[in-house]
Amino acid sequence: MRSLRCAVLVMIAWLGGFAAARAADLNVYTIWPENYARPMFQEFEKQTGIKVNFLRFSSGEALARVIAEKNNPRIDVLFGGPVETFAAGIKEGIFEPYKSPSFAKLAARFKQADGQWMAIADDPLVFMTNGAFLKANNLKPPASWDDLLDPAYKNGLQMADARTSGTAVTRIFSVLEVFGRDEDKAFAYLKRLRQNVQVYTKSGGGGTLPTGLGQAAGGIFFIVDALETKAKGYDVVVSFPKEGIGTSAEAIALIKGAKNREAGKKLIDFATSPAMQAKFAEYKVNFVPAHPDVKTDPALAEVLKGARIFPIDDEYAGANRRRIVDRWVKEVLPAQ
Amino acid sequence: MARARSPSWRGIAGDPALLGAVAAIWCLLLLFVLFPLAHLLERAFVDEGRPTLAPLLDSLADPGHRAAFVNSLILAASVGVLGTAVGFLFALAAVRAGLGRRWLTVLDAAVLLPLVSPPFTTSISIIFSFGPRGLISHHLLGLTGVSAYGFWSTAIAETLTYFPIAYLTLRPILAAIDPNLEEMAFSLGGSRWRTFRTVTLPLCVPGFANAFLLLFAASLADFATPLILAGNAFPVLPTQAYLQITGLFDFKGGAVLSLLLLVPAVMVFLLQRHWVGRRTYVTVTGKVGQRSRSQAIAPWMQVVLVAACVAVATIIVYFYALLLVASLVAAFGADYSFTWRHYAVIFTEGLPAIRDTLIIAALGMPLGGLYGVLVGYLIARRDFPGRRAMELVAMINYALPGTIVGIAYLIAFNDPPIALTGGALLIVACYVFRYSPTGIRATVALLQQIDRSIEEASASLGAASGETFRRVTLPLIAPAFFAGLGVVFIRSMTAISATIFLVSISWTLITVRILENMTEMALGPAAAFSVFVIVVVFVVVAGLSAVLARLRTPTAGAAARSFLGG
Repeated sequence: MRSLRCAVLVMIAWLGGFAAARAADLNVYTIWPENYARPMFQEFEKQTGIKVNFLRFSSGEALARVIAEKNNPRIDVLFGGPVETFAAGIKEGIFEPYKSPSFAKLAARFKQADGQWMAIADDPLVFMTNGAFLKANNLKPPASWDDLLDPAYKNGLQMADARTSGTAVTRIFSVLEVFGRDEDKAFAYLKRLRQNVQVYTKSGGGGTLPTGLGQAAGGIFFIVDALETKAKGYDVVVSFPKEGIGTSAEAIALIKGAKNREAGKKLIDFATSPAMQAKFAEYKVNFVPAHPDVKTDPALAEVLKGARIFPIDDEYAGANRRRIVDRWVKEVLPAQ
Repeated sequence: MARARSPSWRGIAGDPALLGAVAAIWCLLLLFVLFPLAHLLERAFVDEGRPTLAPLLDSLADPGHRAAFVNSLILAASVGVLGTAVGFLFALAAVRAGLGRRWLTVLDAAVLLPLVSPPFTTSISIIFSFGPRGLISHHLLGLTGVSAYGFWSTAIAETLTYFPIAYLTLRPILAAIDPNLEEMAFSLGGSRWRTFRTVTLPLCVPGFANAFLLLFAASLADFATPLILAGNAFPVLPTQAYLQITGLFDFKGGAVLSLLLLVPAVMVFLLQRHWVGRRTYVTVTGKVGQRSRSQAIAPWMQVVLVAACVAVATIIVYFYALLLVASLVAAFGADYSFTWRHYAVIFTEGLPAIRDTLIIAALGMPLGGLYGVLVGYLIARRDFPGRRAMELVAMINYALPGTIVGIAYLIAFNDPPIALTGGALLIVACYVFRYSPTGIRATVALLQQIDRSIEEASASLGAASGETFRRVTLPLIAPAFFAGLGVVFIRSMTAISATIFLVSISWTLITVRILENMTEMALGPAAAFSVFVIVVVFVVVAGLSAVLARLRTPTAGAAARSFLGG
């Protein structure tokens, strides 16, 4: 009977959500999938003794939550995710500027001038196609944006929806760059590409498994997701367009009003430095390091060899994002 | 005040138990339904302190949103009709086809499968089976160029997911129809068809209306299925609202879109009340004679009925067999070597989610069951001011899409004075107020069949209203109580759309983990989690029905037992 009463008391304390015992811990929303983020947080705990409590959300969901929690923040750090998510966050005033010791060393495109966010990795887009599909249709892996317009791909491509996914926004800005920022030409291309799209998925990696299974012929994904699919044993081919394709910085930021500010800064110090980025190769996380002192994993470098990759100008993207996504929703989405 | 008192005011003032119950329910509804809704309305219609209709007009001007509105109605009506039909088929087979107990258990188990798993598991199985390289469409039938996206796959997935609600609503009603009534119709010379048409079917009308309403609302609010299956050619409102909020960070637009959903939900609700409310369906009169074995359905018809049910059940079992396979192979579709690895993952890294989910479900279950029966009893049996308003308000969280309930809770309860986010209490409250309407409707439907004279007899013998409720009404509506209890537990284990916004660092849920696993291509752990959820719910439901069988609740024992799957 006494043990029962004890159990009830423990449960009540638990229910209140008292986290007093965890005062020294750090609370984080990660936009990186858990299988990428978990080993990094474990390394961080090993080095600093600070335990990271984390939850994973896709970028839109994570941002919506942080905005809703603005007056009473529940987390200290927003970890990972394409830089355009962080650009949207700046407008909502949810970040506290912080410059880690690595700040000076990072290239200009890997940091926000005031330290609102800093990059922890670089993530290029790739074309990924199903090997069996290519063989059956006697096709070479697509090596140009125009190759994706081949009628053989009709109703066969899966890629992300620009309303939810940073992957999709990076993709659309890649197309804009390819067409020299001529919006009308770029949208004419996107509308033609629409004819071959089977479905636009919620998350950036949503189409990778269908492509691996042959349910989709292929799509445009971040390299980290594409190589993960390949590593799982699915028959997929990674290729790059000769006109070039965009890459997006993956960022980290301190939340304004964070309850564990100092611990949060330590995580940002760790994530922006070689201490973490040198571990990418070890855990087979195929991000390109953002810190100039860390070498890219040789296997990953081999995949990237000869590929033409350009950064998305985040100032241009930030200024036009909303308008471009709206136009995409109004013109491209229904154009079938 | 005093001279304005209507009889119902006097009634409630002279009955402290009733007054207390009504006041308590209203407090809870105010806090967990109206308060967040008010926050949401403020978000949608107040701009910098001034009321504005601009966001609403913007939404209505967008042809994409108008199409989504129409699509939502078409989908919800289709799922309502299809699901009620399939549910009735199963209920009829279970009650009138003369199946043995063991067969009934098998049938119940197959029916419960879709109810006890996260909705998008059906969607994933459909994509695997019917895509361009689908197991059925391509490998079995050799078709090419099939699309798994669009209206039909969404409607079928939702029907398969939600028809058990119709089954659970209709079965106790069919079971409560005294076969002697049908017997009498026979002996008066009616044919089987005529008896079915003029006796059995009309008695099921409140059940049909309730089942349709519940399915219509469930489909209207479901976002997980269309998110995966509707594709881009068939947008529906909940998905659009979700995309508006999480993708375009447009809280206003999202709030407006989801508030549009309230309009059809409220209309169907009022229609159903108007239609069912005018007739009486009393079959339990306290004078039930010896039950005779039902002859209502011809033997050949029984065979057809059972065959149809077995066909549907086979499809369901196939979908879930696929899930089991995916949880036990290294990489579904690429590497079919056997492994326990995915289960090892969920019981190590996934253990906190499992623990949290079980605690939350165990807490929500009794609260939800009690709340459902109490509200159902109050609105069906007692006369007090604001009764209709209570009925309507209690349905709101069920009718709203989960995304918007989640966001509303997040906004309303994040800041003082009532800061509840981050704790388990809010998740439990969300489940109780979102999923108890099943219990409420089941209670109402059951009470409409029970003659008031039974309770009046108790009252005239001097029992207080609380005692009458406890000793007379409660045993009679026990099946509804256990239906409500079961649904809240099941939903606590499987729902995602609202609670995805309420999980926190300290409290997370299995379903959220499943969705995350799916998005990071970890199909194995996702499938393993799903299998685990199904097993747990089956064990709990079987345990509940065993307890119930031992209790031998007077009139309701048999019905309640079968309710929970033998």
